[in-house]
Amino acid sequence: MDRRTFIKTTLAATSATAFGAMPEFARAQAGKPVTIAFFVKNVTNPFWKACRIGAEKAGKALGVTIETVAPTKPDNIEEQTRLVEDWIIKKPDAFVFVPVDYKALEPSIQKANKAGIPVVDYNNRMTNVDLVTYIGSDDEVMEYQICKSLFESMGGKGKVVHIDGVPAASTAQARKKGFERAVKETPGIEVLTSQPGNYRRLSAVQVFENLMQRFPVIDAVVSANDDMAVGIAESLAAAGRGGKTKVIGIDGIPDATAAIAAGKMFATADFSGHDQAYLAVTAAVRKLRGQPVPKEIILPVVIVTKDNVKNFMKTPEERDPPDWNKYTSG
Amino acid sequence: MSVEVTKLKSRWPSLHTDRLFVVVSRLIALALLVVVLSILSPYFLTWTNFINVLRQASLQFMMSAGLTIVVLTAGIDLSIGAVLGLSACIAASLITGGFMILGIAAALFAGLACGLVNGMLVTVGRIPPFIATYGTLWIAFGLGYVFMKGEVIYGLPEGFRFIGAGFVWGIPVPVIVAVALLAALHFLLQKTVLGRAIYAIGGNPDAARLSGMPVTRRLITVYGLSGLLSGFAALVAIARINAADSSVGEDLLLPAIAAVCLGGTSLFGGVGGIMGTAVGSVILALIVNGTNLLGVQTFWQNAVMGTIILISVLVDQLGGTRLVRDQ
Repeated sequence: MDRRTFIKTTLAATSATAFGAMPEFARAQAGKPVTIAFFVKNVTNPFWKACRIGAEKAGKALGVTIETVAPTKPDNIEEQTRLVEDWIIKKPDAFVFVPVDYKALEPSIQKANKAGIPVVDYNNRMTNVDLVTYIGSDDEVMEYQICKSLFESMGGKGKVVHIDGVPAASTAQARKKGFERAVKETPGIEVLTSQPGNYRRLSAVQVFENLMQRFPVIDAVVSANDDMAVGIAESLAAAGRGGKTKVIGIDGIPDATAAIAAGKMFATADFSGHDQAYLAVTAAVRKLRGQPVPKEIILPVVIVTKDNVKNFMKTPEERDPPDWNKYTSG
Repeated sequence: MSVEVTKLKSRWPSLHTDRLFVVVSRLIALALLVVVLSILSPYFLTWTNFINVLRQASLQFMMSAGLTIVVLTAGIDLSIGAVLGLSACIAASLITGGFMILGIAAALFAGLACGLVNGMLVTVGRIPPFIATYGTLWIAFGLGYVFMKGEVIYGLPEGFRFIGAGFVWGIPVPVIVAVALLAALHFLLQKTVLGRAIYAIGGNPDAARLSGMPVTRRLITVYGLSGLLSGFAALVAIARINAADSSVGEDLLLPAIAAVCLGGTSLFGGVGGIMGTAVGSVILALIVNGTNLLGVQTFWQNAVMGTIILISVLVDQLGGTRLVRDQ
């Protein structure tokens, strides 16, 4: 998909919501337009773009206005703290929130609680705050399950390299834990090394090129995200070692699904920001309308391999909205 | 006035010796690192690893080259990473759209334009380089965000990827490009009027001005060159990783400064050179290579990196080569 159509559709979508293309019942019910402050961690990572599109789709379907709130410095704690304070003063009908750091943002969300703004938490779980609900995927379980299926495909034995994310990030730590649990349960798997790629492609590619010097045989690479995994798959191919090493990532970004379809990568786990955000906005609106909302919704892990990759090659704009009832009926 | 001119002239030979000391001491540090790593890891001293390290160092060098020239004038360019990111996004967008030549030109132009703005702010606007380029850093990042809106561009054409991922007779293309760039910049600094002016301005801007040098024009050229080289590095970087997003330049500033310092160029200007930065880039690449080959624990890597950089510069200071000018 190209950027021009994307920009056009985004413009169309935002102006449609801004100029009151709301269904009649929502206006009648609320008296005034319902506004939801929708938080993302940054505007650089495609994952958060998928979230934004999911949220905007839900907003359009439910007839509420979505105001996206993002720090200009990616994942910046201090800036998000200020943004939360600003938005408490603006008093939207609800927050759909993801903390850039689940501990550091605790006091800010407690302030929102005090101000009586309902908060739906998605993607990163918060504690010690009042939440309408939490909606997300479990990083540890995702990594564990995809590693299990990788190890199974290897007949339970082989030499594996782990490329870590940003070592201090909670997602990276959870994913590493899942990897380690899967390794522990598979005695035939030998971990050659675990080195940080900082979730970035250039950094991961250089680290992996160094590791290829040290390890002439690598049966599989477990990468903490897809961006790094695609880079690693390419450097294997460039070194004439393509096809001998199974590379897995997490996230389900378009580049990775393309690599899986082309046989360069083995698998990824779909971490659907689109679905999480859509469900989170839905939960907030249900709460405002007095409809029941479960305490938490954990999205099931979906492993994407060559067999089912076709279903995941859609852009966030093209994806079907998730069915609320499917996730809440148990 | 005539006194100042003589001062300036008499300073040049001493600059030359300074630089020689620094380069020799950096080469010793480099040799030491190579010896230690060869002993510690049997995988280190191989031809493929040698090529591998050079390829990583070459990209680092391209990012640090423009900065070196700015630092020689006693300035700093904090915007290089951000300008690289912006150029990368513009180029990748046009190139994947089928306009390869236009994309390349646009990246270079965007880099040059950002650099010229920096130069104008520093000279005509009289803003200290640290603040001026810090401002353009955020503007360039911001424009990158606006342009990309969170999108990532993947899948650049094979023909374009050659400059980042190709080989000629077993040598990676970025290495060849870096060597050519090194030769060109060395010539520029040593043999041209502009080059000598850069050292003179860094050594003593007032003396340079009083001796009739067009300092303003020279500085604008220097910052423009730094921007242009960032745009160029952007092309090689995206060709190498086959992707571009607005955050691609984010982590690149500090290693670029580190390579310049490791190479013995004084942050106070007038002392150092591009050869040193080439050596500094190789040292940085070696440190990463070494920690990976030795399997240094993830959590320790940053601390190890910082320690090696500090020790390496400290040795210089104690050894008497003046990275920081004595009063």
